[in-house]
Amino acid sequence: MTKLVDMSGIEKHFPGVHALKSVQFDLVPGEVHALMGENGAGKSTLMKILSGIYQRDGGTLQIEGRDANPTSPREAQALGIGIIHQELSLMNDLTVAQNIFIGREPRKRFGRLNDVALNAQTAEIFASMNLSLDPRAQVGSLTIAKQQMVEIAKALSFRSRVLIMDEPTAALNDAEIAELFVIIRRLKAEGVGIVYISHKMDELKQIADRVTVMRDGEYVGTVDAAATPISQIIAMMVGREVKEEPLVPPDLSDAEVSLEVTGLCRGHEIRDVSFSVLKGEILGFAGLMGAGRTEVARAIFGADPKDSGEIRVHGQVVSIRTPSDAVKAGIGYLSEDRKHFGLATGMSVRDNVALASMDMFTGRVGVLNDGEISTTAKGYITQLGIRTPSDTQEVRLLSGGNQQKVVIAKWLLRDCDILIFDEPTRGIDVGAKSEIYKLLEELAGQGKTIIVISSELPEIMRLSHRIAVMCEGRLTGILAGGKYTTQEDIMHLATQRVAAMQVTGTAQ
Amino acid sequence: MLTRRFILGALSAASLSIPATMSSAEDIYIPLVSKGFQHQFWQAVKSGAEQAAEEYGVTITFEGPDNETMVDRQIDMLAAALANNPKAIGFAALDSQAAIPLLKQADEKGIPIIAFDSGVDSDIPVSTATTDNQAAAALAADKMAEMIGGKGKVAVVAHDQTSRTGIDRRDGFVNRIAEKYPDIEVVTVQYGQGDHLKSTEVTKAILTANPDLNGIFGTNEGSAIGVVNGVQELGTEGLVIIGYDSGKAQKDAIKSGLMAGAITQNPVGIGYETVKAAVAAMKGEEVPALIDTGFYYYDASNIDDPKIAAVLYD
Amino acid sequence: MTSATDIEKKTPLAGLSESGAYQKLLAFASLIALLIGFSIASPNFMQTSNMIAILQATSVNGVLAVAATLVIITGGIDLSVGTLMTFCAVIAGVVLTYLGMPLLLGVAAAIVAGAFCGLCSGTFVAKMKIPPFIATLGMMLILKGLSLVISGTRPIYFNDTPGFDQISRGSLIGEVFPALPIPNGVLILFLVAIAASYILGRTVLGRYTFALGSNEEAVRLSGVNTDLWKMRIYALAGGICGIGGILIASRLNSAQPALGLGYELEAIAAVVIGGTSLSGGRGTILGTLIGALIMAVLTNGLRVLSVAQEWQTVVTGAIIILAVYADMARRRKTG
Repeated sequence: MTKLVDMSGIEKHFPGVHALKSVQFDLVPGEVHALMGENGAGKSTLMKILSGIYQRDGGTLQIEGRDANPTSPREAQALGIGIIHQELSLMNDLTVAQNIFIGREPRKRFGRLNDVALNAQTAEIFASMNLSLDPRAQVGSLTIAKQQMVEIAKALSFRSRVLIMDEPTAALNDAEIAELFVIIRRLKAEGVGIVYISHKMDELKQIADRVTVMRDGEYVGTVDAAATPISQIIAMMVGREVKEEPLVPPDLSDAEVSLEVTGLCRGHEIRDVSFSVLKGEILGFAGLMGAGRTEVARAIFGADPKDSGEIRVHGQVVSIRTPSDAVKAGIGYLSEDRKHFGLATGMSVRDNVALASMDMFTGRVGVLNDGEISTTAKGYITQLGIRTPSDTQEVRLLSGGNQQKVVIAKWLLRDCDILIFDEPTRGIDVGAKSEIYKLLEELAGQGKTIIVISSELPEIMRLSHRIAVMCEGRLTGILAGGKYTTQEDIMHLATQRVAAMQVTGTAQ
Repeated sequence: MLTRRFILGALSAASLSIPATMSSAEDIYIPLVSKGFQHQFWQAVKSGAEQAAEEYGVTITFEGPDNETMVDRQIDMLAAALANNPKAIGFAALDSQAAIPLLKQADEKGIPIIAFDSGVDSDIPVSTATTDNQAAAALAADKMAEMIGGKGKVAVVAHDQTSRTGIDRRDGFVNRIAEKYPDIEVVTVQYGQGDHLKSTEVTKAILTANPDLNGIFGTNEGSAIGVVNGVQELGTEGLVIIGYDSGKAQKDAIKSGLMAGAITQNPVGIGYETVKAAVAAMKGEEVPALIDTGFYYYDASNIDDPKIAAVLYD
Repeated sequence: MTSATDIEKKTPLAGLSESGAYQKLLAFASLIALLIGFSIASPNFMQTSNMIAILQATSVNGVLAVAATLVIITGGIDLSVGTLMTFCAVIAGVVLTYLGMPLLLGVAAAIVAGAFCGLCSGTFVAKMKIPPFIATLGMMLILKGLSLVISGTRPIYFNDTPGFDQISRGSLIGEVFPALPIPNGVLILFLVAIAASYILGRTVLGRYTFALGSNEEAVRLSGVNTDLWKMRIYALAGGICGIGGILIASRLNSAQPALGLGYELEAIAAVVIGGTSLSGGRGTILGTLIGALIMAVLTNGLRVLSVAQEWQTVVTGAIIILAVYADMARRRKTG
């Protein structure tokens, strides 16, 4: 059988970096080949070479047995290579069909658009994917999963034989992931080769046939997905074994309640949510995408207005209308989307650390003491193990894990004793993840109150002393952490929909 | 990374080649700093100045700010003109006061100043070449009165409420009506900045508010064309329109009967007389303090008259 | 340990913070190149009096550009700087000429009026969530109209306020060093620039100015009252425009109520030539100052060379595009 893709000895240099060192990769028709590695291992660079975005400095690239040298994404498309980027590149205000055929719309004479043909051709592609989606639907109105399908349809519309998917499930919930996998299996059956980049180990087992691991721009090895234990793959990725120990929740029976939320409501998104967290406790928030966990966090923090509900901090009722009120009450929020909501990425590490606490460094007439800011920031860089050349480094140049640590430092400095972490390890690679976990445990140990929102059940299981589960805006139950609760228990609560809740339903 | 440096280098090199063709050291150099540049009127002044420059064998430059509110930009231009050590300067002040320090500086250096278009409130300029705008606008008022039969309502679309010419033409017209024609009422004076489009809107608003209007006076080229456009867009008929200055659009409107007539200054003459006076002053000859460059009323009957045609511009 | 080397690789240009200095150096080099080019081209260009004329031509646009820089770094835009300048000049005229108040009071009134108008723009942007382009466009027209209304559409002259014209035209430096009669207007520009630079670099307000432009939502979620800080920045910019109003009124010895439209675009041009990003988060006052000087040198130089006015405009436009392009190209390489 001819290989769809055969890359060998690929070299790539960037100024000052040897990004790829003699890397090899191949893909045969009808297989899902997972490409794994920590962030910065060179996966994306390799795939950008394959899809014509970068040019290789050395090595050979064969597409279906012929030497190829795509110098632009357009040429790669012509060779049958489609790529679906992690960040979807769709135009929200256009329809599904317009997005798929952007730049090559069917035309009538005199440059008039042929919308009938456009929609018909789109419907055809959807039919071939066995996907029911209206070509005239506006992309912005679709769920992320459906948008992903549109991206796949777009790639297929170029008659792609090779499909590269970069973290396709990052924003999907389990049901949507299942949907995506159905599509992937169908594509496989039609002989399409799929390169699958992901950090999620459980997915590999479900979908991948082979796994290639890269580390530091080098090829580590290719193994059979089904036959290789996950721990071995992780070991290949990080160059060491990462051990996961079962959690033993500490005894907090004497601890005081530090945060108590009662009757929190906001529109359809949050419906009568009440819970409390103890000093030194880690409370996990589990649930599917759209269950309302982030909304609860933002409402508590004052980032969004709430309709009703009472928040008590250390027994005192506090009125929180803006994030600034919440910070005064000692609550910090670490958003799931660090780049948009957590960091001023163009600014230095030290400025980001000090961002919430500028008044600590301000003398009379608002003059800043930069020396003190620097000293403080350096202290946190050491304490949290933030890997950065200096405290004046721009944050955007740090890796995801280190960026997260900068956000944590910001809140520690502000002396917030209640910290809400929303997806704390999203986009962070395996090695750095366990460091973040350790950090959260240390913080709880020091008496901080921690709330962790996560869509990854293993993460919830790994961290939470207690687990609150939400579904469709309601808190459907709070489970004990540790070995007494199984993932199945959580999923049961997370899917407990309105019908089952009617008896206790209280919305408006 | 050398891009910008390279480009700037190339640019300076390019600019080097330009002045070589513009002036040589032997030339007598007279810069004219005008009030405007883009309008046909100023281009006509420029052509008159160039005509005189050729006759007298001098080199001129002609510059003016983008619009007549940019007083400080005009002063920067005057400063740059002074830097070149000219033999004389022609200057049409947007605001006399603002220019006085620089005029004094020129005076100290012994550079004679010829004011043109509108006067400079100072005794530094040795001569002023200008139109008597008040008298010209009064003539427009007389013609208006004659054509609407000595009674009725008229309006003024003026180009500017702050500049000398704007004030003079408005007052010249309004005062003449008030003094001589008690049965004519000036219902409103509106300003369109001499901009065709704004003047059009202003005209339409006036006509909407005063459907029984008999005539409109537009105080410069842009205003007059705006009035014609406004009247055309509304389809109003029987209105007497009197304009000011010329330009192709205004000439066409007069020929087609849309516009009754217009006052024309002699912009070519203004430019010509300015340079002529500058050359004379430079040589130490006697120059009259005021050079009246004249004005005419023209309509369809005399528009092709050689005497009129000579001062009109397209 | 792999990750340590990882970091090294992901941040190959550890000296990236130097790129700011490099950018200024580049802009400065361009300025010097222009000066040298024009000096060679015309013997009349490099005279003290002409250099002073250039500086004086920079003073008003420079002050407005400094104000615009502050707002642009927050990721906003201020289209009202030109007409706000005029409005403040008119206010000074009313206070000094119509009311006959003492000089200092007139100056203070102009700056306070500017800060107040800036605060209004800031309120529209921060509290009412009107996009800065729209809010300041509205403000631009409101102020133009108000200037005409308050002044009665006539220029207000300052003949009755002795010393007013000295604010811009006089020369304190010239009194000490007679060979260097640099007008006070230029001195004031540099003082304003130094103050603004200090505020941007060393104060909370400045730090938040960059932070807002870098990621406003992150700053808000850090518990910072972003609305309040934004309003303060607009107010500061407004106050600086007030100084610009004093400068131009003093230079013309009159408040010209119809002036001001178009000045905002020249100020913004100076800001972008100086390397400040229109998308916010990046920029320096020194860069803006150099940008304003480049614009002034260019216009003056082309005039001294007697280049036809039509072509002067073409060249200025081309320089703006080239300057920003060079900056972008450099950033793509290092970024």
